[in-house]
Amino acid sequence: MKFNLSEDQALLRQSTRDFLTSEWPIDKARKVMEHDDSGYAADEWARLAEMGYLGLTLPASVGGQGLGAIELAIVLEEAGRACMPGPYLDVVLAGALLAAAGGQDALLKDLAAGKQLVTIARSDSAYASEATTVTHLAGGRVRGTKYFVPFAAAADALLATTPEGVCLVNGPFDVTPLPTFDLAQRFGEVRFDHAATLIGPPILLERNDHLAAVGAAAMLLGAMSRCLEMTLEYVQTRQAFNKPIGAFQALQHRLADMMLKTESTRSAVYRAAWCFDTNDADTALACAAAKAYAGDAARLVCGESIQMHGGIGFTWELDLHFFFKRAKTLEQHYGSTEVQLERALQAAGF
Amino acid sequence: MDLQLTETHLKFRDELRAWLQANLPRPWRDELRDPNATEDSLMALRRDWQRKLYKAGYLGMGWAKEWGGRGATEVEKSIFDEEIARADAPQILNFLGISLLGPALIHHGSEAQRRRFIPPMLAADEIWCQGFSEPGAGSDLASLRTSATLDGDDFVLNGQKIWTTFGPWADWIFVLARTDAKDRHGGISFILCKLDTPGVTVRRLRQITGESEFGEVFFEDVRVPRANLVGQIGEGWRIAMTVLGYERGAGSLAFSVRFGRDLAQLAATCRELGRTNAAVREKLGRLLVENEVMRANGIRTLANFADGNKPGPESSIEKLFWSEFDKRFRETAIDLLGPGGQLVRTSAEARRDVDWTREFLWSRAGTIYSGSSEIQRNIIAKRVLNLPTDGR
Repeated sequence: MKFNLSEDQALLRQSTRDFLTSEWPIDKARKVMEHDDSGYAADEWARLAEMGYLGLTLPASVGGQGLGAIELAIVLEEAGRACMPGPYLDVVLAGALLAAAGGQDALLKDLAAGKQLVTIARSDSAYASEATTVTHLAGGRVRGTKYFVPFAAAADALLATTPEGVCLVNGPFDVTPLPTFDLAQRFGEVRFDHAATLIGPPILLERNDHLAAVGAAAMLLGAMSRCLEMTLEYVQTRQAFNKPIGAFQALQHRLADMMLKTESTRSAVYRAAWCFDTNDADTALACAAAKAYAGDAARLVCGESIQMHGGIGFTWELDLHFFFKRAKTLEQHYGSTEVQLERALQAAGF
Repeated sequence: MDLQLTETHLKFRDELRAWLQANLPRPWRDELRDPNATEDSLMALRRDWQRKLYKAGYLGMGWAKEWGGRGATEVEKSIFDEEIARADAPQILNFLGISLLGPALIHHGSEAQRRRFIPPMLAADEIWCQGFSEPGAGSDLASLRTSATLDGDDFVLNGQKIWTTFGPWADWIFVLARTDAKDRHGGISFILCKLDTPGVTVRRLRQITGESEFGEVFFEDVRVPRANLVGQIGEGWRIAMTVLGYERGAGSLAFSVRFGRDLAQLAATCRELGRTNAAVREKLGRLLVENEVMRANGIRTLANFADGNKPGPESSIEKLFWSEFDKRFRETAIDLLGPGGQLVRTSAEARRDVDWTREFLWSRAGTIYSGSSEIQRNIIAKRVLNLPTDGR
């Protein structure tokens, strides 16, 4: 038994951190988030493909690296730390769904090579989880409207979920942007009236949901770790009443709680990833628990980080708000806390 | 990363499970709700249970065989705790002796002390209580004032200990006493004292549960042979901190098993009572998630042990997590059960599954004993996060 990363996994973490430090310094991430309408940088997307990140979990036969959820969690944690904008998690999930469906090798090769951008069109509602419209597959066509489709405007193809199953739909799409406060993520409302291919039954989504939960939880872990780090640095330098503010117990105890939440999230995320990779009987429960807990933990850690920075924490200039906003997106999407709680209850037979 | 138990560990676990199945008469929750059970009868039962475990070689898990232990690894210790929790076996009577004094003697005691005290400790022939807290020294333990003055070959003890767990049930006490009034930490020594020594008075204290697991111990010119000093004069603080580390060390996994079982019971009861609305389900869901995360923390610690790491200050994170969660869990449980959740176990209408009121009340203790939540947060802030002290 061993919780620490293997040599290869530790190497992956280090090389990913090095890569993101040089390719995605926070200044660059800010520039893309604030000024690039697509919400990601096309040249950087090509670099991610070149480095093998897009095919991380895909089989070697389509140009992937054949790695598992633990490795994916490592990369996503680093991406979360870097506040890397773009559809990385969305494309990885679409790839996993295509791979699970089978028979999509040509598209997967393009996806891994960064030549085609595919995401999953899931939500049937702009607001609560109750569907306002349901997208259906009938007579070889998908008709309906999907909301909060990740990076819809940039997508070459979408995987639309319908009661009939998962459908592969090729663009172009009729997209209305749905701008949110999180500039690292772009969403669109997509009106479908497209020829489509049924690639698999709805049950395909079950394992994809588990991977989505672990993946989003890993990004949340990265975001909260980075916020906690920034805050720990700040409270040791910022002086008030002739002391570094980190010397005050009022802050120390809250920082201790932030540490507890962050490290507990780490335990939960990597355990869930391990369960996923080994098909452990606890996979459903572990993945749901990791995501539900990570969402709450990130809200606390990122929010407290803003609070402890005081006035500067409320400025656009400081990077913290980008993490704070990311955390809200990740909490709501990829299976909201409400959804994960119900999944956990079901998995435990409650 | 690999979270799978090895074949050796699985074998150890399966043997232990089989042994528990054959040897545990009935789960602890059944003992508690036996109408004839008294505090005395339950203590007697815990003594018998300890002797059974001892005979089977399941006590002093981590100690060398030479000292009557099993020479087990940290992983086996953790598996043991988890299986005990799964079987809902009673806690052994000499819990404090074995979890705290035993390690103190093994690491800091003399050969003669180990030979004298360890065998009866394991056999439950001599029960130990812990004399740390005082009326004026709780979280600020180093401000303790009970004094030990050398007089010839004896120490003379004067002072008072309080919140002394097992005090009313013990034969011996290990005492932190001041041997130098001027040196705050270096003036504390670790001394063993028999409770029937002239000048010692033990009084029961009634806890909020109605039970008297703890008490207070008064020392009035109590003469203790110098041979009962553990380590050197002035080493008491260091020894106490080492043994408290053991007390705090592991446990998340065992707690998650216990809480998980009670939580499943709570969910089943809510269903039976028709309490399945969204508010109830959200509460159950949040408890379940926290318990799973606690389990993940426990698995991580276990895997770190297996990988050769020793417990460090991070154990404060685990203690803070389980004890605070225990409070939230037990409180939510009696809320979800409605007014009936507050019935004491002697009521015919009380739920027979879990003694919810006792658990609810006991949960208030976990965030106070063995370093309060406030102390755990101090430890995390200073020793994990390296934050500056307030005096700077």
